[in-house]
Amino acid sequence: MYAVKLENVNLYIGSHHILKNVSLKVPYNSVFVIMGPSGSGKTSILRIINRLIDLVDDARVEGVVRVLGFDALKTDQYELRRYIGMVFQVPNPFPHLTIYDNVAIAARINGVARTRSELDEVVKWALEKAMLWDEVKNRLHDYPHKLSGGQRQRLCLARALAMKPRLLLLDEPTTNIDPINARRLEEAVTSLKDEVTILMVTHNPHQAARVADYIAVIYDGRIVEHGPAKHLFLHPSTEITERLLRGEL
Amino acid sequence: MYDWRHVKSKLFVGLVIALSMVALAPVFHLVAVIFVNGVSTLLEAGVGFFTEMPPTPLSRGLGGIAPSIVGSLLMTLLALPAVVAIALFAAILTTEFPRSRLSLLVDVVAKSLTSVPTIAVSMIVYMLVVVPTKSFSSLAGTFALVIVSLPYAYTYFSSILRSIPAMYREAAFSIAMTRWGVVTRVLVPIVARGVVVGVLITMARIMGETAALLFTAGRYRAGLNVSLWGPVDAIPLLIFDFILSPFDNLRRVAWGATFVLLLSYMLVFFATKLVVREVKL
Repeated sequence: MYAVKLENVNLYIGSHHILKNVSLKVPYNSVFVIMGPSGSGKTSILRIINRLIDLVDDARVEGVVRVLGFDALKTDQYELRRYIGMVFQVPNPFPHLTIYDNVAIAARINGVARTRSELDEVVKWALEKAMLWDEVKNRLHDYPHKLSGGQRQRLCLARALAMKPRLLLLDEPTTNIDPINARRLEEAVTSLKDEVTILMVTHNPHQAARVADYIAVIYDGRIVEHGPAKHLFLHPSTEITERLLRGEL
Repeated sequence: MYDWRHVKSKLFVGLVIALSMVALAPVFHLVAVIFVNGVSTLLEAGVGFFTEMPPTPLSRGLGGIAPSIVGSLLMTLLALPAVVAIALFAAILTTEFPRSRLSLLVDVVAKSLTSVPTIAVSMIVYMLVVVPTKSFSSLAGTFALVIVSLPYAYTYFSSILRSIPAMYREAAFSIAMTRWGVVTRVLVPIVARGVVVGVLITMARIMGETAALLFTAGRYRAGLNVSLWGPVDAIPLLIFDFILSPFDNLRRVAWGATFVLLLSYMLVFFATKLVVREVKL
């Protein structure tokens, strides 16, 4: 059984063929990293899994997408997203909500917590898991513009966790933050894998080496290689993977 | 010692300040003229300016503008919620479903309405409402005001909704919000201040509109009418009629009315600034 299973998935946006026969299997409670250069289709895979691709005009997906047992392309998109959290490349906490409300809103919408005390508990739990609690516990009613970029990204992680998701999608979450915050986020991610399956996108091989159990390499919309992380790092079987690991792509 | 780059920078900043002053000078002049003339009228007329009937050319005192205030307030109270609700929903429709046929239709109609002269709107409403009901009325005036203000309010609301970065919309969808939830819980609250400013601009447009009321409201100044079916007056209509008058007392009332109009905008504007928090992105 896999948390995510893609079979021969193709994505077209208008006349552009973005993903070409992509097949992937993401085991439950693992950290699965999709690695590839910019524009190779990494983010598109995540957006197909949680159906954010539906927001793109002219997008057409073909193939089989099974997510947490659902046929993702046929399931109601809003229902599907209840089980899938996502952290984006650019930190995007809601600017009109306080730190507390940014986390609470996800729990409230998805029925994770209803009373004030339940909400307090979930907010604290999510902020602790995102390794942000100690930094914000005395300023929960501040607005996110007062946080640093890295803190904002961890707030977004807390928001995603407050949904109590079974699958967490991370779209290059450390690209726009400093190395110390990036390391904290990585620590948070690796500590979560017993509770949630993590599918992460990165173009940074060092990060992939630190967090991944499994890796898939994507290039120009095709999966060129995938397997256990250690094996792929030690014995890359394609030139594209070798070049990616050397930082040449 | 300043190098040439600093000198150029200072020159350009100076030029920008000077040109801004030139651009703003007519506005300051206008406000100053309205202030000086308006305050002198108000000081002479006293509180009665807000409660009494307008003077005749032969009246000794300045009287007041009560029928115009009542008419303007009545039509604004009726038109403003309708304009804001329709324009905001239309803007949400066209920004959230930009490719739907209804959105395209709404957009085209709104843009076309912008170019229709307001006096033509007044004539159309005269044919559609005043002639069948055989009376000028606040209802006809309100109808004309709604038509005239809608395209501007729609354009404004659309522009502020489109200015929200897509990342917030995606974040909202990613936590399983429905499309309606995204609009009501995220998009509109993010631009709450902009929405309030839009409401204000619309209110200013409605309260200041003259031509749309020429053949619809009725310029009734003999008493106070708060019914939908009877004729009413409006502050801009009174200003339009009185400022062209050869009689000094009527022209002075027109200045006082202009000052009241200006003061009401400013009060609402500053109150809004204080009350509505700006969302920092």
